[in-house]
Amino acid sequence: MIELQALTFRYAGADRDALHDITLTIPDGAFLGIIGPAGAGKSTLAHCLSGVIPHAVRGDFYGAVRVDGLDTADSRLTDLSCIVGTVFQDVDSQIISSVVEDELLYGLENFGVPREEIEERLTFALEQTGIAPLRHRAIASLSGGQRQKVAIASLIALRPKILVLDEPTGELDPSSSRQIFSLLRRLNRETGMTVIVVEQKIMLLCEFAERLIVLSDGRIERDGTVREVLGDIAGLEAIGVNCPRSARFSSLLSEKTGRPVPVCVNADEAVEAARRLIG
Amino acid sequence: MTDLFQYVPGNTPLHRMNPITKILLTLSVCIAAFLTDNLFVLLFLLVFDLMIGVVAGAARKAFSIFRGLFKVSLFLFVLQALFVRRGNRLFWIITDEGLLTAASVVLRLLVVCLPLALVLTVTQVSDIANAMVQVLHVPYAYAFTLTTAIRFIPQFMEEMSGIMEAQTARGVEFDSQNFFKKLGMLLPLCAPLLISSVRRTGATATAAEVRGFDLRTRESGYKRYGFGLVDLAALLISAALITGAVLIP
Amino acid sequence: MIRAEHVTYSYRGNVQTVRDLSFHIQKGEFVAILGENGAGKTTTVKLIDGLLCPTSGQMLVNGLDTAKTRVSERAKQVGFLFQNPDRQICQSTVREEIAFGLRAVWGKKETDKIEERTDELLRLFSFRGDEEPFSLSRGQRQQVALASTLAVKPAVLILDEPTTGLDYRECTRIMEFIRSLNETEGTTVVMVCHDMEVVLDYARRALVMAGGQLLADGPVHEIFRDAALMEKASLLPPQIIQISGQLGGEFASADDAETLSDMIARAAERRQA
Repeated sequence: MIELQALTFRYAGADRDALHDITLTIPDGAFLGIIGPAGAGKSTLAHCLSGVIPHAVRGDFYGAVRVDGLDTADSRLTDLSCIVGTVFQDVDSQIISSVVEDELLYGLENFGVPREEIEERLTFALEQTGIAPLRHRAIASLSGGQRQKVAIASLIALRPKILVLDEPTGELDPSSSRQIFSLLRRLNRETGMTVIVVEQKIMLLCEFAERLIVLSDGRIERDGTVREVLGDIAGLEAIGVNCPRSARFSSLLSEKTGRPVPVCVNADEAVEAARRLIG
Repeated sequence: MTDLFQYVPGNTPLHRMNPITKILLTLSVCIAAFLTDNLFVLLFLLVFDLMIGVVAGAARKAFSIFRGLFKVSLFLFVLQALFVRRGNRLFWIITDEGLLTAASVVLRLLVVCLPLALVLTVTQVSDIANAMVQVLHVPYAYAFTLTTAIRFIPQFMEEMSGIMEAQTARGVEFDSQNFFKKLGMLLPLCAPLLISSVRRTGATATAAEVRGFDLRTRESGYKRYGFGLVDLAALLISAALITGAVLIP
Repeated sequence: MIRAEHVTYSYRGNVQTVRDLSFHIQKGEFVAILGENGAGKTTTVKLIDGLLCPTSGQMLVNGLDTAKTRVSERAKQVGFLFQNPDRQICQSTVREEIAFGLRAVWGKKETDKIEERTDELLRLFSFRGDEEPFSLSRGQRQQVALASTLAVKPAVLILDEPTTGLDYRECTRIMEFIRSLNETEGTTVVMVCHDMEVVLDYARRALVMAGGQLLADGPVHEIFRDAALMEKASLLPPQIIQISGQLGGEFASADDAETLSDMIARAAERRQA
């Protein structure tokens, strides 16, 4: 479980808070999406959850972040990273080794995982992410989507309870993006891992996330289930967040027919809603 | 160019060799090249380099490096031949000693550059670093700096060619023949390159830290780097190369 | 404007990244190139810009063979906006950045003309000329890159995933700008884009690629409605097209939320009556 209490952070030299008075609880096993316009503080929030802030970034940090009861400001970053795994925005810069297997070994070796357990964990992470056939490949020869999977696998090998990802599909095409999200969903459902993902692609969040947080200007503007948040399309657009067309369609439908139409988060729901109206 | 320093997986004797041995072998070739003045010994070392390339299953690469260095070598050769004034004049301002010096400079360059590039073809940088930490007791922070630096080279090259492409699209003519003009065009590109590199380095450091960089000790490595028969053979060859270079006048 | 005739490009004589491409793009068209990663989209736009030259076949832009055109000559005709603005930006102020491209194409002597055009663009994009590009946000940097690309008034504008990394507002701003350029100046736009909603909103014609070959070429709406084609190219059509397609019948022709909801509302009324 992650608890944020009145968290405020301002980068050294900045003239305004990157995050302002954030109070938030994320229960175990959640699949949480974070969205918001550029400069809203999404990456800053992700870094606070994983302890990178305040440990590796300079600035003024107020309030408290507790991960599984550990106060991130008082714990060592390495202790935190056994609980929270982080995938950073630029995958290429976080990959340390040149071969897939070594990249997975890196964390395992450092955290002193016993030798007889290492092979088992390696296989587990490779299989969960579906990259077992790539084990001995050079990372430089992999596609963007495959590299993203390697980065995720290298964290899963450490068996964190929580996975934080900052725009994991930023540079990927639609089908690789969906693959990454399917993988996250499987991890979330099968291993009970908490997944927190900062993402710009609203359609993916609508399909995969259970809870959505909308950030704007360092503050939490909306927090609820995907359906709840999408209920207010005009409000989201004013913040600068796009909506899936299906949601816009369902809101138009309710406006034009004068009848209640549930918020549709995907195409199938929209088709169903329309059929109900026209019989 | 970008794949020059890239590891190519394989299972040749050179791939199986202990990384430390490979480095020793490379260094011995370099030392031998600098100890000898004998053109035939240098020529032998060059052939030896190319043979290693063949054994490593990287013959094509070895020859392409060889070709790549050829232009530079030619330039150096002409320069040396023109500037060395000692010895007997053969024709114009060219002397016999000038030609010999020029030949040995060029050969030395080739002999030294080839194995340095080849060693990265058959060895993963992480293995070099791990072995250095395990066998030679080098502090991990230094080994990490080395691996990161080497791993950045292809990324750096990729970024550079991306930037040059973007600038070409704007009408900057990099295909200009004038060296100084070309340099003048490349200089403004250093800013974006530096900015992206600095940003990257910071991110890499943090990424390593959250995966337990600080906890790593000499015993952390999962892979063990033992010495075998191949290593013994390589050590003997190394010794022979250096002895040969010293003894053959 | 752009004519590709049996264009093939292979990388270092090995893998063919695009094979036997033939298409013709008229002046003033707004074309999207669709396909999954590795389908050859980026190679195709680089071939149009002359950054790559066909290994066989011919690429003609404005009647000129790209393989035989000088870099600066070609840069007058074709502007290229890259996915990553940071590869393009290399000067320390926004003003210098815009002037840099102009100087490369118009020559250093045209100081007055360059000055004038730079001012014009700064006004158009409401930039402050003395701002440092690298202190701006990604979306703003993308706009700076766009401004300097447009400075020379290219007849063809190429966009390689122009909206990557941008938020909804920044994306809309860039795309609206390009739309108005296409409509008022008649600039030909060729765009590689992964966001099918953006393609539906802005492009009029689509080329679909898979495995380095051209699978289909036609009006965006028709392309998106061809379910078999979408499947073959591993693409997912925009949501409204999916919805109208599944509803079928009279609704299948609707391609935006407004029209479709109107049609349904009317059908619902008829049913009640």
